[in-house]
Amino acid sequence: MWPQMTSLLSPWQWVILALVPPAVVALYFLKLKRTPLEVPSTYLWKKSIEDLHVNSLWQRLRRSILLLLQLLLLLLLLLALLNFSWQSSAFAERRVIYLIDNSASMQTKDIAEGARSRLDEAKRLVAARIDEMRSGDVAMIISFNERAQVVQQYTGNRPELRRQLANIRPTNRPTSIDDALRLASALANPGRTSNTDEGDVVAADAVPADLVVLSDFRFPPVADFALGNLEPKLEMLGAADTSNLAIVNFSTARHESRPDLVHIFARLQNYAEEEQSVRAELLLDDFLIDAKEVAIGAGGFVTLDFTREDVETGVLELRVAAADALTVDNRAWTVINRPQRRRILFVSPGNTGLRRALESDAARELAQVEQAEPPYLNSPEYKAEAASGRYDLIIYDECAPEKLPFANTLFINALPPDGRWTKQEELDTGIQIIDTERTHPLMKLLDLGDVMIYQGFVVKRPSGGVNLIDSSRGPIFAVAPRDGYEDAVIGFSLMPVEENGELYPNTNWPRTRSFPVFIREVLTYLAGVETDTNFANVRPGGTFALRNEAAGDELTVVDPAKKKQRVRRNRQNTYEFADTQQVGVYEVWDDDRLLARFAVNLFSQPESDNRTRPEESVRLGHEELAAQSALQPSRREIWKWLVVLGLVVLLAEWYIYNRRVYL
Amino acid sequence: MSSASSSTAASTKSRVETPLLNPALLARLERMELVSRKIYRGQMKGERRSPRKGQSVEFADFRSYVPGDDIRFIDWNTYARLDKLFIKLFLEEEDLHFYALIDASLSMDFGDPSKLTYAKQLAAALGFIGLIRSDRVRIETLGQAPQAPGPVLRGRSSVWRMQQYLEGIEPGENVSLHEGVRNFCLRNSGKGIVVLISDLMDKEGYEAALRYLVAQQMDAYVLHVLSEEELNPEITGDLRLVDCEDDDVAEVTVSAPLLKRYQQTLAAFIGGAKDFCSRRGMSYALVRNQMPVDELILSLLRRQGLVR
Repeated sequence: MWPQMTSLLSPWQWVILALVPPAVVALYFLKLKRTPLEVPSTYLWKKSIEDLHVNSLWQRLRRSILLLLQLLLLLLLLLALLNFSWQSSAFAERRVIYLIDNSASMQTKDIAEGARSRLDEAKRLVAARIDEMRSGDVAMIISFNERAQVVQQYTGNRPELRRQLANIRPTNRPTSIDDALRLASALANPGRTSNTDEGDVVAADAVPADLVVLSDFRFPPVADFALGNLEPKLEMLGAADTSNLAIVNFSTARHESRPDLVHIFARLQNYAEEEQSVRAELLLDDFLIDAKEVAIGAGGFVTLDFTREDVETGVLELRVAAADALTVDNRAWTVINRPQRRRILFVSPGNTGLRRALESDAARELAQVEQAEPPYLNSPEYKAEAASGRYDLIIYDECAPEKLPFANTLFINALPPDGRWTKQEELDTGIQIIDTERTHPLMKLLDLGDVMIYQGFVVKRPSGGVNLIDSSRGPIFAVAPRDGYEDAVIGFSLMPVEENGELYPNTNWPRTRSFPVFIREVLTYLAGVETDTNFANVRPGGTFALRNEAAGDELTVVDPAKKKQRVRRNRQNTYEFADTQQVGVYEVWDDDRLLARFAVNLFSQPESDNRTRPEESVRLGHEELAAQSALQPSRREIWKWLVVLGLVVLLAEWYIYNRRVYL
Repeated sequence: MSSASSSTAASTKSRVETPLLNPALLARLERMELVSRKIYRGQMKGERRSPRKGQSVEFADFRSYVPGDDIRFIDWNTYARLDKLFIKLFLEEEDLHFYALIDASLSMDFGDPSKLTYAKQLAAALGFIGLIRSDRVRIETLGQAPQAPGPVLRGRSSVWRMQQYLEGIEPGENVSLHEGVRNFCLRNSGKGIVVLISDLMDKEGYEAALRYLVAQQMDAYVLHVLSEEELNPEITGDLRLVDCEDDDVAEVTVSAPLLKRYQQTLAAFIGGAKDFCSRRGMSYALVRNQMPVDELILSLLRRQGLVR
């Protein structure tokens, strides 16, 4: 392998340095101001010189031995500055893709006795490799956390690579390498195009590349991925004995029967091989209100439960005084906001069961329900209100508007008028519920085993929706999104049906225990009523959405670093804020009125568990790879030896100069 | 490099003028005499055998009496026995002419002691030997003006005068070896011992000069005085060597090969001079300025046969 050189100097420094050898030669000729010395006779000297003139070229060289030694010394120093090196490992790369993990766990400071974080170490290693790049080599840098970002496209421009590398910042996000791998793979393994005229052709030449992954490999195995032309090299960063103590959950809930009591829960996890004792401090608006001393066994967890009466609103912070390498998970915040009551319009010809449910105390606490008769739908007031987005939820019972409102809707025994929903089949012989979608928030607490339904229709929802209740004939309750809102359709009436002049109940659901629960879920989910305590916990990098009809077109979000950002109302009548990189409490202000606060916490067990596992292999697609130090020993620099050699030459020159031992 | 030059200069200036002769040396020289390999006709009765038969006490031969002979030399004992007249011949004892020719050029003013000082000491010592043996001693320099030849000295009483004269010799005569020797030979036609004390550093060569001495049919000794600085130069660096006599310049970068080459040249130079002298019946001796004068005379010159 050819020696490779990387300059330690900038071009203009090289120019100055290049002037030194000619200067030495010039000085050597200039310096020959011979010292005059009177001798008895030059007779013998002249005779001696005459003899020497015979082979003058060699003599001249011999006489210039000092000059030659000086030039040799300079050459050695120049070579040292060129930073010659031999690559000891066969790492013959022409194209390299560096995948640098900047997820939360990479903030762990466990490199070099805690001096550097894992991300710093990754950047240092990559920077060293960039220094070693030869001309013609190109590199690409991709940073990844839960999403991947191309920091620098393929380039051979080393200063640019170094600059972009330095710009990679740690994030508090979880890790997922899939995106990054797909990005890299897209460049190394071009797909095929299906142009019918030309047949199936490869879009571009496959470009093999080295894929260097710098990570602590705290991410799930990557399935369903083919490396193809990528030659993976995995660089495991981090110390195996790193310990961490993390707050993995922190939330509040009001007591069921005593709303003045607030339960504050926290879960502390010990990711270490030995037991740890810490003091957990609970702060309300930066004042210490409680503290607990806990001991957590190796690898175990502890659940803390503080019950407080005095907490009405404010910011709760939990701190653990753990001296570990990852600090981002040693603090957690949660916010108790004043509950916001939602506006709900209930349009019904007279559904007493549903009306009673909406008028209950529990429902009134959550929302302000306005009631109207179906003719109201034709009034200009309704049209103005519906178009303004004032309502959070409009319930159309046995009726439908001309146009869907800017609000979530619940249609009961009616269909939204936009034509996407259709009645598939009328059912009038008794409907048997065979399944409910328990994973959906609307249905998760419902047990409909005792519900009987007489008549109804099979609901055909638009694509993207979910069927919530399936009958033997097809779905009778479904929900589907619409431009940022959601429409739910119940395919049967909750009101009595008239048959042969008599009224019979169409269903017994309003009389079962599951109905109030359903109404509550409708209010919390469809009307968007968050329970006041668990108002919002946003993951770092996640989006926080606030709906507030009373606010102006622009809100101000103040992040934990007290930086202000403007957020505009979007078409869906919400304010969305996604710059939630920092953990802490964010405040949403409408001019000088505090509308809401939300907390951003890490709460990620894979990130908090920052112990590296060098013995485990990493699965990338179909390949099991050993994570190893792929980058460390690659460079064998010889500049030190060159400098030592230069010193030897200097000594030799000194000796020759003083001792007259010219060759 | 500059240290070598400065040390040379310093040694030139700081050397102490030692007396030419010291009592200890004189005591050792008292017992010696100059020896000539040839017997020359002297001008005065001296302590040397002369080719002329004369009135010394040393018997030489008999010969038959012829009328006119001094009858004082008739050996009457032989006449009584043989009844024939024989003349008894005695060897004549004559004085020896000793010439010391000193090169007082600027190049001789180098070394510690300077080559000139050394030459003067040498001349003084040899002259002293000559004087106490009643020889005719004449010391001259190469640049001696024909109008003012060196004094002719004779007898022990002249030692002081000789010393005075020697001490008056200053370096700086700008005369080539060849010219100086020629002038000397023209001035001094007599036979005798001539000791040329010189460093022979003449760019025109020493051969012509020495040929004059050969032609003079003198018993010639060449004492080749070289200083330690010339024999083992301790100089380094890039130098501009300036000839002190003619300001000739030689630019040298002193290096080990150059010094080696210099030594070879020097050896060739010395060897050439020695060869030249021995082939022409002259005695040659290389004299270092570091060698004590008494040691030189007592060992080297005695071996050479100049003194006994």
